Amino acid sequence: MKSVVTTVVTAADAAGRFPSQNDLEAVQGNIQRAAARLEAAEKLASGMDKVVREAGDACFKKYPYLKQQGEAGSTQTKVDKCYRDLGHYMRLVNYCLVVGGTGPLDEWGIAGAREVYRTLNLPTAAYVEALTYTRDRACSPRDMSPQALNELKSYLDYAINSLS
Amino acid sequence: MLDAFSRAVISADSKNAAIGSGELAALRNYVSQGNQRLDAVNAITSNASCIVSDAVTGMICENTGLIQAGGNCYPNRRMAACLRDGEIVLRYISYALLAGDASVLDDRCLNGLKETYIALGVPLQSAARAVGIMKASSTAHINETNTSGTNPDETRFRKMETVKGDCSALVSEAASYFDRVASALA
Repeated sequence: MKSVVTTVVTAADAAGRFPSQNDLEAVQGNIQRAAARLEAAEKLASGMDKVVREAGDACFKKYPYLKQQGEAGSTQTKVDKCYRDLGHYMRLVNYCLVVGGTGPLDEWGIAGAREVYRTLNLPTAAYVEALTYTRDRACSPRDMSPQALNELKSYLDYAINSLS
Repeated sequence: MLDAFSRAVISADSKNAAIGSGELAALRNYVSQGNQRLDAVNAITSNASCIVSDAVTGMICENTGLIQAGGNCYPNRRMAACLRDGEIVLRYISYALLAGDASVLDDRCLNGLKETYIALGVPLQSAARAVGIMKASSTAHINETNTSGTNPDETRFRKMETVKGDCSALVSEAASYFDRVASALA
């Protein structure tokens, strides 16, 4: 799993040397910024159900045709799966915030997603709408501190960009 | 390879759950101890050659047969290989301590080490003893409880002169990595 520490260790190991001063300082920089991302991860986790619910509602509000016959949300089972997928994305964003890198989203969310959505004939625009809604809905200081919000939005943006 | 953060992610993913306050407490601890941890890694890396050569010397002092003809540290070629291996083990331990997770040590160093040593005829007990001495001196360097020993003129002796604090958690974590090596060789 890619993170600042594992990147530093991999590079040091490839060169066969002990962690250098530069390596330690890179890790220190990462640690100093960690408080904001851990705060964002905690707030996202504590409001997870509500965040997912609101994001899904926003997506079906913008694209009501999805619930029509023959569309991606034609039955309640399909609608539930949409909410479940959004839960997955939020969970991966939560993981990214903890790790401090895009590793979890890359490995478990983005790799292969395009092919899966094409095969299942799912509209990525709906996911984009849901994630965008979450991004714009989050605000500081109501939800979290400004730095934490910044971290959260950067990973949501990353997910949005991967889908659009 | 994992670090303390990605380890939490892997275990949360297996439960299909987001990482909440409970797991974050341990990670906040890693963050708040961050500078201490970096000092500890620095204490090991800055004194690496001293730690390794002392450990190999100690191992040989306790078992002088190693440097007599037919011993496993005779001739210089094999002595050099022994010092090199000591440094490699210490290097992976320093990575593990930096990451706060033993996976890099397990995957890249210990996996197959025992089998390799058996195939090469390296005495496992001696190797484990050298690791034991490295553990003693490394933890002393981290804790700054190292002494000049019985030789008052020891020129290599030094203290890191970092700010003193409670390093017990880090010392026991570092010790656990050395124990991991010892048990992998047992």
